[in-house]
Order: sequence, then C-alpha cells, then structure tokens
Amino acid sequence: MPEIVVKFDDKIIERVVSEKKRISIGRTGDNDIVLDNRGVSRKHAQIEFNGQAAVIIDNESLNGTFVNNRKITEELLRDGDSITIGKFTLTYYTEGKREESSAGLDGTMVLNTKKQRDLIQSDKLEKEIVQRMGGSVLLGEENCDFSEYRIDRDVTTIGKAKFVHIHARGFLLSGIQAKIVKEADQTAIVNLGRKSKTKVNGEQISKQMLKNGDIVQVGKSIFRYVEGSR
Amino acid sequence: MKIALISDVHANLEALEKVLRDIEKEGVEKIHFLGDAVGYGCDPNKCVRLINKHCDIKLLGNHDYAAMGLESLENFNYIAQTSIEWTQKKLTDKSIAMLADFDMSAVFLDYFLVHSSPGTPEDWDYILGVNEAEEQFSRFEESVCLVGHSHLPTIFAKKGENKTSIISKKAIELNKDTKYIVNVGSVGQPRDNDPRACYLIIDTELPKIYYKRVEYDVEKTQEKMRKAVLPDFLIDRIALGR
Repeated sequence: MPEIVVKFDDKIIERVVSEKKRISIGRTGDNDIVLDNRGVSRKHAQIEFNGQAAVIIDNESLNGTFVNNRKITEELLRDGDSITIGKFTLTYYTEGKREESSAGLDGTMVLNTKKQRDLIQSDKLEKEIVQRMGGSVLLGEENCDFSEYRIDRDVTTIGKAKFVHIHARGFLLSGIQAKIVKEADQTAIVNLGRKSKTKVNGEQISKQMLKNGDIVQVGKSIFRYVEGSR
Repeated sequence: MKIALISDVHANLEALEKVLRDIEKEGVEKIHFLGDAVGYGCDPNKCVRLINKHCDIKLLGNHDYAAMGLESLENFNYIAQTSIEWTQKKLTDKSIAMLADFDMSAVFLDYFLVHSSPGTPEDWDYILGVNEAEEQFSRFEESVCLVGHSHLPTIFAKKGENKTSIISKKAIELNKDTKYIVNVGSVGQPRDNDPRACYLIIDTELPKIYYKRVEYDVEKTQEKMRKAVLPDFLIDRIALGR
C-alpha cells in the first residue's frame, strides 16, 4: 500500500497510508491530507491511483505544487519522490512500512501526536505575532520578562542593566551582554560581555547571523527568533 | 570621606594618568567615572582598562555607547563620527567587554550620577544653561546630580522654589536646603579655555566640592594623535582647552 510521509520544517507530522483511489490535499478540513498553513490552497492538489501508478494533479493552486523541486500540473509519481506544497514536504512511497500499513476504517490512517499539531499551530501563531508586531521578534521562552520583544531598532541591547532594551537574567551576565544589529537585510547577534555567554542553538557565538527559528540564549534567558519578512 | 569624580577622558592617556596620580595624593577613598572613556583620543583601550581598574562606579557616555556599536553615528558631527569610527577599529573585544559592564546612571549616598542628564540619560541631552538645568532639577531625588558630557565645569544651584543660578566658584560648601547639578569637567578634552585636565572632589563630611586642574604633557598626546592620523581639529583643541 502506498504511503505518504508529510513533513513540516523537516519534522514528520503525518504518515498517510491509504487504500483510496484518490487522496485530496489542501488547507481545509475536508481533505484527506490537511496542510493547515498559508500558501496552501483550499483544494490544492490530489493524488490518483490507478493500479500501480500514482499521479499527482495540481488543482490550479495559487502557489503551485512541486515534485522534486519542479513545478508540475500533472505528474507520475515514483517511489521516493518529494512533493512540496507551501512549507510542507510530502514524500511518496509505493509501499509503506509493514508496521504502519494497518489502515483505519476509512482506508486512511493518520498518525498524529499533539506535538506535531502544536508545531503547525506555533508556526501559525508566530506568523500572527510577526504581523501584529510589524517585524522580527524575539519570543521569550525561559527566564524572560515578556513573551514578545520587537526587534525593530538598528541596535537592540540585551543584558542585565536597567537601561537595555531586553532584560536577561544570569549571575555573571554583563550590563549589556549582547546586541542584535540590523546589517543590510539581515539581523546579527553579537556577544559583548565576557563573563557570561551568548548562545545560538546551543553554540557559543561571538557574532552570528540570525535565522528564523534560532534559539538565542543570553545568560539564563532563552528566546526564539522569528524573522519578520518571511 | 573624599570621593573623586572624573569624566570625559576621551582616550587621553597622558591626562588620565596624571589625574589618577593627583587623586592618589588627595587621599581619596573612591573614584567614580561619569562616562566617555573613549572617542577623540588615541588610547581607547588603555584608558578603558585604567578606568575599569581604578573606578568604583563606571558610567557609559555617548561616545562609549557609539563605539560599542550600540547607536547610529547620525547624531554625531563629522569629526566625532571620524573619531568614533577610528575608535571602533581600535577597540578590543576585551575593552568592549569591560564597557559592557558600565552603567547608564547610579546613585551614591545623596548623589545621582549620570553622563548627560538625569531625566533621559540615553537621549544624551546637554545641560549647558540655567533653563536646561531648571528642567532637570525635578528629575532626580538626591540633593546633588553629578554630570559630565559638556566638558564645562559648571555648578547649577536651586534653592527651594527660587530660579536656578550658576555658581562660578572652584570650591563650594553644599547647603542642605539647596539642590545642585554639578558638571565635573573633562579629564581628556577640557573646553573652558583651560587645557589642564579637570576633575572634581567631594568631601562628603562637610560636605563640600572642589575642582582640581592638573597639567599633563599635551604635546605628547598631540604627537600620538598625529601619528594616529586623527583630525587636526581634535589635535589642536586639547592645547587650547576648547
């Protein structure tokens, strides 16, 4: 039985094993595979099975359907083909793994954990926050005064001092432990203090360009960077 | 207890060293620094290190803040911009890390310490005349506010609801019923037509305050600045004291 593995941000969020002749893919809940994200049309695409052959058809979606990074309208799928729809990647396998091939009553089995749902949910929330704040933000995750900090200045200071823009915690933290600076169309974080550290995704840095989703740690305070112009 | 207040060193090592030696002779218990360790002069790293080592309270000035890359250089005149860009190239990570622990304002006994003005320190406003001082008197709780920034040793006094006045004396006893804003002058680039390095001493017992002027080897500093290819205007002004 064919299997489709749905990934979001490189994380598997669904495995769909189906006996159906036709699998619909789209943003709304009445699809067999629901990709709840902007950039995905309501009825985005469908996969039709005819014997051993599987064909993916794009339903004239706004942002397109891609197979192995090539935009398609209708395409025969081969084992291992990678389908990109919005921020999702769907990998098509002609045969699903044995232990996961027990289809549900309606012929479609969806493995879904709360964490996987949360992942999509948090992406939606981030987009809302970025829109509301009008630019890039640092989300306060741990040991932070606020849940959202707007990064709209040329320089944003982070540290223990009263006068900095973002207060961080930590015993040996400097008054101004780090700064976030706009450089052309990018954003960089620069460590300034020496007794404490600034880390990005767990690695100690002196200066680093920030990417969407980066975990920024200043002393004991942990933030997540959400890029504004996505 | 005697306290020394130094400010606006502006990377002038010869002036700072002489002032520190003079302070030692005065039998001072603590030295507080009111900002602008760097900018204009040619020894930013040595000055930051000396200030960090000798001073108890250490504040940031607008030049320090800009040299750390925390502020755009738009608000600085062309010559200041040139010197800040020069400083940014010279300033080591170690110096930056030291400056990163300097504060924006501080309170010591009944004294409020800030580089520019007590109301909004990060706006770097100047207190040059009685009108500007008048506005600032309500912005601090303490009896005395000690500032730097303008490089002009000036004492503003406000007794009760009376209008602010300027006291043009080199030493005064502080009255209990009067609030003061005192500019402690500049160590590294005085602008009151006296090229000698300037600083302030507070005798907290009396209490009284008095300015001290210290001669230093201006020519040596100028020679180093020439070698560092800093703007002529900056080299000339330290000999003129303006």
